[in-house]
Amino acid sequence: MLLEGILVDLVPYGKRFTEQEHRWRNNESAFWARVGDRLPLSRASLERWRQEHAEHAAQRGRREIWFGIQTKDGTPIGDIALNRFWPHHRVAMLGAAIGEPEYWGGGYGTDALLLVVDYAFDWLDLRRLWLQTMGSNARVVRQMEKVGFTLEARLRQATYADGVWQDLLCYGLLREEWPGRAALVERLGLRPRG
Amino acid sequence: MLEGTLVDLVPFEDDFAIYLETWMNEEAWFRAHVWERREPHTEDDVKKYIENMEKNERGGLIGFQAKNGDPIGALIFDHEWTRVRKAEVRVVVGDSRYEGADEALDGLLMLVRYCFETRNLHRLDAVALPFHETWIEHLRRAGFVHEGTLRQHIRWDGDYVDLEMFGLLQSEWPGYVQKVAELSLQPSDIEPKPKPEKKEQKEAQPS
Repeated sequence: MLLEGILVDLVPYGKRFTEQEHRWRNNESAFWARVGDRLPLSRASLERWRQEHAEHAAQRGRREIWFGIQTKDGTPIGDIALNRFWPHHRVAMLGAAIGEPEYWGGGYGTDALLLVVDYAFDWLDLRRLWLQTMGSNARVVRQMEKVGFTLEARLRQATYADGVWQDLLCYGLLREEWPGRAALVERLGLRPRG
Repeated sequence: MLEGTLVDLVPFEDDFAIYLETWMNEEAWFRAHVWERREPHTEDDVKKYIENMEKNERGGLIGFQAKNGDPIGALIFDHEWTRVRKAEVRVVVGDSRYEGADEALDGLLMLVRYCFETRNLHRLDAVALPFHETWIEHLRRAGFVHEGTLRQHIRWDGDYVDLEMFGLLQSEWPGYVQKVAELSLQPSDIEPKPKPEKKEQKEAQPS
């Protein structure tokens, strides 16, 4: 196992995951991950997007690290990634989506986040992680507070969702603020499901 | 040519392309492109950059010059996001004599004017290193609001420094004409640089 958690494991983002992507990118999870967009995406456009994205990243010499998130019984439920990576600044931007809404709010996403933060600091030697989310994304805002990210900037009316302008919130976490995954697992009371 | 109060906006070509070979290796460039690695840019890199910006559907590279035709630097908008109608703006004051001068501020105002009054964008993003005081001052005078600080976000000369985040909404922009009237811009007394030598014409001696 690549990265083993309490409720989920992080594994290569392979075919088992890309097969789910069409469904995930067309449900409510995509609305949150794409900060308000609801464009229905065909399989062909998804494939094209994936290719163009990879080419663009390669062209710019950009590193990205994608993980699939699966439950302990191996069910693919989403993805989490260091999707913009600046090794010379030792900073990465995080992106994640739990594509299966029935797994929202149960600690699955948080478990995956703790694994990736630990991986970024302990294996990749990064010093800082950050991410952006919509102001109305109450689940992520709560998660950020629980895990110890700091709200660093509020970009006013920086996205548009369901007919209203929305702020984009920037959250950051420095390595020296990270107490380690074990401490967080303990503090948040993450326990295996029986 | 788009005419401003102290500067004019022109296509990024001719003398600008020659100057960029120097500008892209100087402080002003790296300060304006904080995410990028500080690397030497060869003539080919510079040419490729200009070509890419010409083809860039989500951005543009514009030259700005003083009223006497003296090239000052580059106005850049990039990462335009159609759905949200926003883009990032940055100003490279290539000729450092204009750093902090009202000509540089007018360059920023003209860029904002173009983005809001021609492209009809809703929001502009800008970033600044905390010690780049002239740029921060110009952002504030243009009306940008400081929206937060990404802590220790940038590796800079042996240290990790914060990145200051700024934003300006179309609804906060009174229009270029009114903004300029509020600011009472003053021209600086800078002599134009000698024209750079045209590379293509080196071989052919004019009679």
